[in-house]
Amino acid sequence: MKIVVDKSRCSSIGLCEATATDIFQIGADGALHILMAEVPEDRRTDLEQACENCPTQALSIEG
Amino acid sequence: MTAVITRAERPYDPADISSSEFWAGTAKDREKVFAELRASRPISWHRPVTNGMFADPNDQGFWAVVRHADLVEVTRRPGDFLSGQGITFESLPVEVLDAAQGFIAMDPPRHTKIRRLMAAAFTPKQLARIDEHIVANSRRIVDDIAAKGSVNFVTEVAALIPMDNICDMVGIPEEHRRTVAYESQFADGWRDPRLLQGADPLARVFQTVSTIHGIAHELIAARRSKPENDLMTALVQAEVDGERLTDDDISSIFALLIIAGNDTTRQSISHGMKALSDFPEQRAWLMEDLDGRLPIAVEEIIRWATPIMTFRRTAAHDTELGGHHITEGDKVIMFYSSANMDTEVFDHPEQLNLSRSPNKHIAFGGGGIHHCLGAQLARRQISAIFRELLTRLPDIHTVGEPELGNGNFFHTVVSMTAEFTPEKRTGSTR
Repeated sequence: MKIVVDKSRCSSIGLCEATATDIFQIGADGALHILMAEVPEDRRTDLEQACENCPTQALSIEG
Repeated sequence: MTAVITRAERPYDPADISSSEFWAGTAKDREKVFAELRASRPISWHRPVTNGMFADPNDQGFWAVVRHADLVEVTRRPGDFLSGQGITFESLPVEVLDAAQGFIAMDPPRHTKIRRLMAAAFTPKQLARIDEHIVANSRRIVDDIAAKGSVNFVTEVAALIPMDNICDMVGIPEEHRRTVAYESQFADGWRDPRLLQGADPLARVFQTVSTIHGIAHELIAARRSKPENDLMTALVQAEVDGERLTDDDISSIFALLIIAGNDTTRQSISHGMKALSDFPEQRAWLMEDLDGRLPIAVEEIIRWATPIMTFRRTAAHDTELGGHHITEGDKVIMFYSSANMDTEVFDHPEQLNLSRSPNKHIAFGGGGIHHCLGAQLARRQISAIFRELLTRLPDIHTVGEPELGNGNFFHTVVSMTAEFTPEKRTGSTR
């Protein structure tokens, strides 16, 4: 599955990074970077948590 | 659908959370009132605060949000509950709002852009980079008190940690550090006669604004001519929507960083020291594995301290909250100290439990767009100073009751004595 970021909404608050540091990273440019192009199925709970936690509803799961 | 009652005819809740006396008391006393509200009237309408900075005839009162779940909901509805009209209980003169509240009193879309800009400086990677500074600053502060045996813990320890670290990050040189840390206290201390020393509150706040902006403008000019590796340089170089930030924008962000950076962590360290003195069995548990247990203990220290007690929002339009009809323009105040004592979320919140896990405290915010930018910085600082203190001065403890602030925003400790067996130094003395 993939994680989709709505860049117009994302404010780089970093709560997703706090949920899964190996998937989400706020870069030196202040933008959110997704570190895994394809996220393994066993991480679905983490992704759902990150989507739920996002203050700006900028994250969604594809697949 | 609830009946619509206009603001003017809405009856006030009988509980007093508006008076100066209420805020001049202790957290324990306030908690009795909050517990009653949480149990029976979780969303309630109250008379305006009695000692505002200036008389605001339009201020008819505020909604009090005291439960954990409701606080989280308000912070996560930024379209309904705005920050742009101010984040403090009291109405503030617009000049002060513009000059000192930076992006905390800002709404999307502008907030989104400024926040993203700031995020670059507070990433875990950036903070790991400055961790050695944080540790070195902590060591130096303990070096300076180690031989004394008795200190004013607030001025000689708690205030210095955040001052050094936020100034390092922002790029504030040594000669301005004590000034900015001192001035930042007036953000909430403008009603404290001990700080005011006879000055008029409004005049004193304007003096703070002008002092901080004077330093900001000096630094802006310096970084434009010679860039450094600090936040001030990032701000003068930044572009938002293809435009550079104005000097006033930068000064306002600068003021926010100083106030938010100094006045919060300072309180957490002070309350933490008091708590570790009051709960010896918790401290003993921590000391059994200081390095291993400190991260989780720091969360409980932050919950216990709840350094920011309130944040305000303003209703953007008529809306519902917890079954109440909220009218456009109503002030909605979230009580963080109350939410952090909510028995729906915390088992025996009145007891310090350093092993509390999970610890869903909302001291850094309820997970909204204004979630604390400096949360990781705060955690690192609190961890570093307690590691240093508890290792080198193992019997350090507070003496008597702390002198507390009388504000409704920061959970201020004005002054507090701590005593310890002076450290035995080997080798040369400093």
